Order: sequence, then C-alpha cells, then structure tokens
Amino acid sequence: MSATLEVDVRLPLGGFELAVAWTARSGSLALFGHSGAGKTSLLEAIAGLRGGVRGRIAVAGRTWLDDERGVDLPARRRGVGYVPQDLLLFPHRDVLGNVLAGRRRAAGRAGPRLDPRRVLDVLEISGLARRRVADLSGGERRRVALARALCSGPEILLLDEPLAGLDLALRGKILPYLLRMREAFAVPTLYVSHEPGEVQMLADEVGVLASGRLIAAGPVGTVLADPAVLPIVRAEGRENVLRGSVTSVDRDVAALEIGPGLAVSVPSRGLAIGSVASVLLRAEDIVLSLEPPGGLSARNALPGIVRDIREIERADDLEGQVLVVLDLAGGRASLVAAITERSRLALGIDAGSRVHAVFKTHACRVLAAG
Amino acid sequence: MTAGAIEALRVSLLVAGVATLAVLPPGVLCGLLLARRSFPGKALVETATALPLVLPPTAVGYVLLRLLARDGPLGPRALGVDLDLLLTWKGAALAAAVMALPLVVRSARTAFEEVDPRLEGMAATLGLGRLATLWGVTLPLARRGLVAAAVLGFGRALGEFGATVIVAGNIPGRTQTLALGIWGDLQAGRDRAATEMLAISVVLAFATVFAVERLQRGRT
Repeated sequence: MSATLEVDVRLPLGGFELAVAWTARSGSLALFGHSGAGKTSLLEAIAGLRGGVRGRIAVAGRTWLDDERGVDLPARRRGVGYVPQDLLLFPHRDVLGNVLAGRRRAAGRAGPRLDPRRVLDVLEISGLARRRVADLSGGERRRVALARALCSGPEILLLDEPLAGLDLALRGKILPYLLRMREAFAVPTLYVSHEPGEVQMLADEVGVLASGRLIAAGPVGTVLADPAVLPIVRAEGRENVLRGSVTSVDRDVAALEIGPGLAVSVPSRGLAIGSVASVLLRAEDIVLSLEPPGGLSARNALPGIVRDIREIERADDLEGQVLVVLDLAGGRASLVAAITERSRLALGIDAGSRVHAVFKTHACRVLAAG
Repeated sequence: MTAGAIEALRVSLLVAGVATLAVLPPGVLCGLLLARRSFPGKALVETATALPLVLPPTAVGYVLLRLLARDGPLGPRALGVDLDLLLTWKGAALAAAVMALPLVVRSARTAFEEVDPRLEGMAATLGLGRLATLWGVTLPLARRGLVAAAVLGFGRALGEFGATVIVAGNIPGRTQTLALGIWGDLQAGRDRAATEMLAISVVLAFATVFAVERLQRGRT
C-alpha cells in the first residue's frame, strides 16, 4: 500500500527554513508542535497554497509536487479538503452553497463518494442548509467548514487546529464530530494541533515540528513519550486524555484502567467491558488534596507526585491559575491540574510534593470507544 | 419642459449609459489585474489609466480627436473603415468613457482588494478553476464595490464636458448633453433654458444617487 502522505519539502519562512521529510502510512495523522513551528505553513504547502516550495509531495501515491521532475500541481488539481483555523467560509453563500462548493470535483472523482446529505446528517447541520453563514454559531460554522471539505471529494483532509480558540464547552462539542467523521467517512486526515490531548485522541501517527524541523515521527503513544518531544507535550498540555481498557461496568459508572493498578471511575455511556476507551478530563476539574480525601462524593482520588509547576501562558479562561503536572503510578501516567497560585502557595505544593488528584466521575467525558 | 431640454436629457442618458457599459469591462479587468497580479509594466498601466483624471479634459478630447481624425492612427485612412465617431453621440460616449475610466479602474481595484485572497485560495482547494473562482467567489464578494464603480463612472460620464465638446461638438438633438446644453444656453444668453437644464440635472443626479443607495442597502 502506498503511503498516506509523503513529504520531503523545503520552504523558506520568516525566521527559519521549513525542512521536513516525513512518510506516514496511517489514515489519522497529526502534526504536533508549538505555535510558530511551521505546522500551518507545511499544511499550506501540501494544499498548494504556498509558492516557493521545493522538494516532493505525494498523497496516496499521487505526486503533487516534484520539482526534479517538474511536477507542481496547482491547488485546484490536488484534491485536499482544507479547513484552516479561520475556516474561510464563503460569506455570500448559505450553508448548502458552502457545503456544495466543491461538488463538481467530488462528482468527477473515481471511487467512493460521500453523499452530502449523509455528511450533513453526521455533522448535524441538515437543519441549517438555508441559513446564512454569518448567522451561525462558532460550533456550527466549524461543522459547515468540515462538511464543505468532506463533500469536495478530497484525497486527504487537512484540519488546522480544529479545536483551537474554542472555549472548553465548545471543544467538547466539536471533538465528538471529528471522531464520528473519522469513523463514518474514513477519509485520510492530517490534523494540526499544539494540544497533546487532541493528538492522542484524533491521530494514530504523529510528526512533531520544532522550528521547521521534524524532530520525531511515528505512532502517537511512542512519539509523545519521546524525551525530545516531552518538553513540548508538557509545555502545551492543558487537557488530560486518559486512555485505558474498561475493567468493569456498573450501571452508569465504569472503571477504566489507565495504568497498572490505576483505575478511574468514568461515566459508562457506550462502554463495554474489555473495550479500549478515551476520556477527556479538563485540568480545572481536578482538585488537589495533600491528604487522602475521605467523606467526599467524588469517586476519583489518584495519588501522585508533582513533577512540575507551569505558568499558564495563553489562557485567559484560566487566569490566575497554574498548571500542576503530576506523575501517577510511578511515572507511567500523568495528569495536569489547574489550581490558583494562591491555593498552591497555601498548600505548599511544589515539585516533589505528594498529592491526591480528586475529580468526579462525570468530570470525565467519554470521547470514544476505541 | 422645452423640447430642447428633453432632447438634451435623452442624449445625456444615452451617452452616459453607453459610456458606462463600454468602460465597465476594460475598467473592471484593469482593476482586477492591478489588484491581484504583478506583471512587468504594472506601474505604467496604473499611470496610464489614471491619466484622464489628471489631464485637462480638453487635452484628452484633443488626443481623441487626433486619433480619430481622417489621417489619425484610428481614422478611416488607417483602419480602412470610418468609425464615424466624430461629431456623433457615439463620439460623445467614447469621450465620456475615457474620462470615466480612471474612476472605474480605481474603484474596481479597491473593490477587488477588499476581497480576501485566501477565500480564492480556498476555492482553489475545493477544485474550482480560475474562471469559476472569479465568477463564484471574487465577483459576488466585490459586487458592492463594483456597483459603486459603475455609478461613479455613470456620474462622471453624465457630467463630462471638456473632452465631449471637442470630440462630438455641441449639436442640439444629436450630441448636446445637459452639460453641453447649459453651457450653450448660457453663451447664447438663454438663462431660462439653462436653468431648466440645471433643474433636470439636479433631479437626475439625485435620482441616481438615491437609486444606488437603495440598491446597496437592499442587498447584503
């Protein structure tokens, strides 16, 4: 089978040169790195929206760029479903007009095609078909942009930070659609993200960019634990993704084993014993306690050791708080908790402190079985 | 209203209307090229299309006259056919179109520059070709600005005097527009007739601006 994506490109950017050679075979790929690492530029280079790109790009065995052989397909002949961060919906068209903008290419494409009605249904925007895009909510606009990309018959979807800039409630709403899209349509997808939780959830294979270079690539689990990548993971992660297997289901509560001897109680919706599941746990939903807590309604209290205290840089939604990074089960799992700097000082929490991470069962959002 | 004034109104509308239709395609195309492309000689095109704005209108008229004269480069001797523009309403329309060109080019350019080129890039990733993108994305998004360009052009053509009088003369019922008529009547001491044409001009200007405002607000 040919690779999903083969890039070997060089592109001069403002302060540095993007130079990436990456061959990826999985259908769910992610590009991970700090902002400014060149992720969006690489995406634009693949989409054909950048001039001055040298080297080779091939998707699903078709060569889109090969400057040695004089191949450089224009964007319109490449076949990407591109969803940039600012979506770029066409303001003069209604939802359906946007979604069907690429239908001509989809119709001319060999192989299986997606039925736009099904795409609208899966993304739950069928009822919005005749609405003006200016009247949509942020979450609806994202789904329209996803639908437009899907309905254009793409060889690969390029999703640039599909969850960035959303408040946490909205992220929780869009994420399930992304997972559902992956299951329902099986279009190879390259996600760009600076959030390690998202990468773990959405992708099987990841490439890590730092200052325009690929510093690691491979299966997500291996790469995100790579010593070269860990600093980026630690600096960026603000949401916890707990992945494990379901060991018991008792009515509406399930036990998820996320590490050796480390079980978390999560809502059981859609989970079966023995299945592998991911749950999302927001950093600010975790309470830290110095003593093993008793007499609490929260069912989860995981013992851990503080590895690191991080300032919160970009987040206005977590102002005045710091992130406490915990090692669980002797470093085989980790958690990030957001607490106010004031409580941290009051409790004397610092690197090396032994604490208990307390959170409710229903603070865990089950993202997907699988 | 006197017959002369009505004739002048008719000629004015005909000349300005035809001039606008004639100037729009090249003007919009120039605006698009200037907004979206870089090419050798771009500065030259920019300057050339702006010239009629800066030159005295009579100078532009004189250039047209020389071009279209019997032995000029666009005259009957050089082309083999007589375009029959001099001293006709078509000549007046040509003069008005040339005078309106800078305004149309400038407004069209601004209208296109206000369309986010990344939307055109998005159209390309969806498989749309250049023409489909122009037709389906660029033109609809620039529409308001292009309507404004057309109106400015029409307005400029309606008021054109200097170039028109040289190319088309001032023949009542044939080439006499309201602008020329007012001048002619004043020269001949027919103050009443001049005032009448003035009144018609004001009404016409008012109606044009009003219609455009309505049009712009009606559609978003």
